[in-house]
Amino acid sequence: MATATYPPPPPYYRLYKDYLQDPKSAPAPPPPVVGTYVCFGSTYTTDDILPSLEEQGVRQLYPKGSNIDFKKELRTLNRDLLLHILELADVLVSRPSQYARRVEDISLIFKNLHHLLNSLRPHQGRATLIHILELQIQRRKQAVEDIKRRREEAQKLLKESLGAFEAQ
Amino acid sequence: MDIISQLQEQVNSIAALTFNTFGTLQRDATPVKLSPNYPDPPPAPVPPPDDATKFEDQPKLMSAALVKAAKQFDALVAALPLSDGGEEAQLKRIEELQNELRQVQELYSQAADNCLNLKKPD
Repeated sequence: MATATYPPPPPYYRLYKDYLQDPKSAPAPPPPVVGTYVCFGSTYTTDDILPSLEEQGVRQLYPKGSNIDFKKELRTLNRDLLLHILELADVLVSRPSQYARRVEDISLIFKNLHHLLNSLRPHQGRATLIHILELQIQRRKQAVEDIKRRREEAQKLLKESLGAFEAQ
Repeated sequence: MDIISQLQEQVNSIAALTFNTFGTLQRDATPVKLSPNYPDPPPAPVPPPDDATKFEDQPKLMSAALVKAAKQFDALVAALPLSDGGEEAQLKRIEELQNELRQVQELYSQAADNCLNLKKPD
């Protein structure tokens, strides 16, 4: 069985031969990638935002707006999904050769469902941030209380021991 | 697992149940009689006893599983904690919390300072 060797390291190491004597003789590291880049043949983007459904060529079934009622739309899509599954079952019984359009409709509904769920993630991120900030505030307040309490206890102890010492 | 991931898992499981349902029914259904002239096939030998669920129960069981999965999805949607008014409200709340955190941090560092340097508490 033929096995391939690992690829050799990139040849840039030769450029850094005199780096110890003269740090300026070697090229500076390349700046970070901006915008889109190609990796192993496919294009990626550094701007991590969820592309809208139209950009992916998928029809959007839920109404577009600035504030979408996610629960209502999710429930509507769920009902639509079940109706389409029943429709597919009926078509398979009566006219089995016409399954393709129904299957396409069902996959459209699934794509919309997943897109809706993905667009909930930024909201979840912000809610997590709020929760973390509240926890931190609570911990610091607790710490301030604890410090105050311990100082008072220590002072009381010192006063008592001073009193006991002088009473002798 | 957080609720959105659970919802995504539930969507995928509904899809899996759907194609398994259709696949099983299409594969295991008894053949259709094309014309009354064709003779019936000879009765098959008794199926081996390891066939626990008979084929007649399959559609009922599988559709019940589908409906249960859909109801589970609705229950998860109802449990979504989407109580706020939108992105701006969240961002405003984050700003308020950041300010409060800064104040409390100030108080805390003062208190720790006083404590460690044995200054008089106020």
